Amino acid sequence: MHALGLAAAGLAVLLSAAVLPLDAPPLSLFPCPFRAATLLPCLSCGCTHAFAAAVRLHPIDALRSNPLGAFAAAAFAVHIVWTALRLCGLGWVPAPLPVTPRVRIGAAALLGLNWAFLVLRGGP
Amino acid sequence: MLVRCPSCRSTFSTERTGPQDCPACGKPLVVPDSPGVVPAGVQSSLQSTAQPQAEQGTPWERRAELGTWRAYRDTVVQALFEPARLFGSARLDRGPAQLGFALLTVSAASIVAQLVDYFFLRNWTQMFLRRLGGSGPMASYWQKLAEAARETSPRSAVLWALLTPLVVLVALYLNAAVTHLATALLGQAKRGFAATFAACAYACAPLLLLAIPGCGSPVGVVWTVVLTGVGLQQTHRIPGRTAAAAVLAPYALICCATCALGVLGGMAALRGSP
Repeated sequence: MHALGLAAAGLAVLLSAAVLPLDAPPLSLFPCPFRAATLLPCLSCGCTHAFAAAVRLHPIDALRSNPLGAFAAAAFAVHIVWTALRLCGLGWVPAPLPVTPRVRIGAAALLGLNWAFLVLRGGP
Repeated sequence: MLVRCPSCRSTFSTERTGPQDCPACGKPLVVPDSPGVVPAGVQSSLQSTAQPQAEQGTPWERRAELGTWRAYRDTVVQALFEPARLFGSARLDRGPAQLGFALLTVSAASIVAQLVDYFFLRNWTQMFLRRLGGSGPMASYWQKLAEAARETSPRSAVLWALLTPLVVLVALYLNAAVTHLATALLGQAKRGFAATFAACAYACAPLLLLAIPGCGSPVGVVWTVVLTGVGLQQTHRIPGRTAAAAVLAPYALICCATCALGVLGGMAALRGSP
C-alpha cells in the first residue's frame, strides 16, 4: 500500500516538474532562505531544476543542478514503473538493502559530497 | 519455510524455527516446528508478555466499533495530550487508515485556512506582504508572493483548495520518506517504513490548528515536529534522543522544510497583522 502511495506522490512530483514553469508561481515562490542568509546553498538547492531537467530527459543538466535531486528523480521514475508492473502482476520483489554501518556512512558521505559539489559549483 | 508475520502480515522465508525477528517489521515472533506458512494470528509468547497492551489499534483504526466521529475525536485528543499511548497502540498494518486520518485532518484545516485567508484576510495579507517586500534578503521573494496573491482569482483559489488533498498526500509521503531516510541513516529504522509512516500520519493531528488565523500555523507545525519525534520513539521502539535527531536532521539539512516553515510563519504573521 505504501509503495502505491509513494508512487502516487512521486508521479505527482514528476508531473509537476514537467508541467509547471520554473520562473512562475508556484515554483518560483520557493527561494532558499538558507542561501539568502548564508550565501551558501543548502543540501536541496537546485532540486527543482534537477527534477525539471530530469523529466525533460536532460540528465547532464539535472546532475549539474543537483546530483542528489537527479538521483531522486530517477529513483521516483524507477519506483513508479516498478509499482505499475507490480499492479500488472509482476511478482518479483527486490531484496531490501541491509542498512549496515558501512552503508550508513557511505550515504552520509554521499550527502556531504553532494553539498560540497553545490558549494563549489556556486550559482543558483 | 515460509512464515507470515502476525504483526505486519508480510511473508518471509526462513530456514530455522523458534524465536526470531520479522525482517519486515522487526517484531519478535516464534516460528513453530511444523512446516508450511504460519497462519496469521500466531502471536509470539515473547510479544504477548512483553507488550500486553501494545498495538491494539488507535481509536481511528477501530472506528468500525467506535463510530467515525468518536474515533476521530479520540484520536486527535490522544495525539495532542497522550501521544505515547496513541503511537504505542498504532498498528503497522493499518496504513490506509493512517493515511486517511492525515489526509482528512490536514486537508480540512488547510482548505478552511486558504478560504478564510482569501475571502476575509486578503487585504491584510497584501499589506503585510508589501511591508515584507520593502527590504531584507527575502524582499524579492515577498514581492513575488504579493504579486501572486494579488493575481489569484476566486476560481484559482477554489482550484487550489480542491488540489489540497493531493498536495497533502505528496507532502505526507515525502515527509515520511525523508524522515525514514534520516532514521535509517542513524541506524534506528527498526520496524520499517510503515512505522515511520504511522508516526508521521498521526503527528499531523496538531495541523488542525492551521485553520486558526495567526498563531495557528507555527504552533501546529512545531507541535507536529515534536509529535513526530514521540511517534518515532514509540513506533520504532527507539530512544527519545535518537528519535529527536532523526526528526530534526531533515529540518536542519534540507532547505525545503526550512522554506516551508518560513512560508508558514510568514503566512501566520500575515493573518495576524492588522
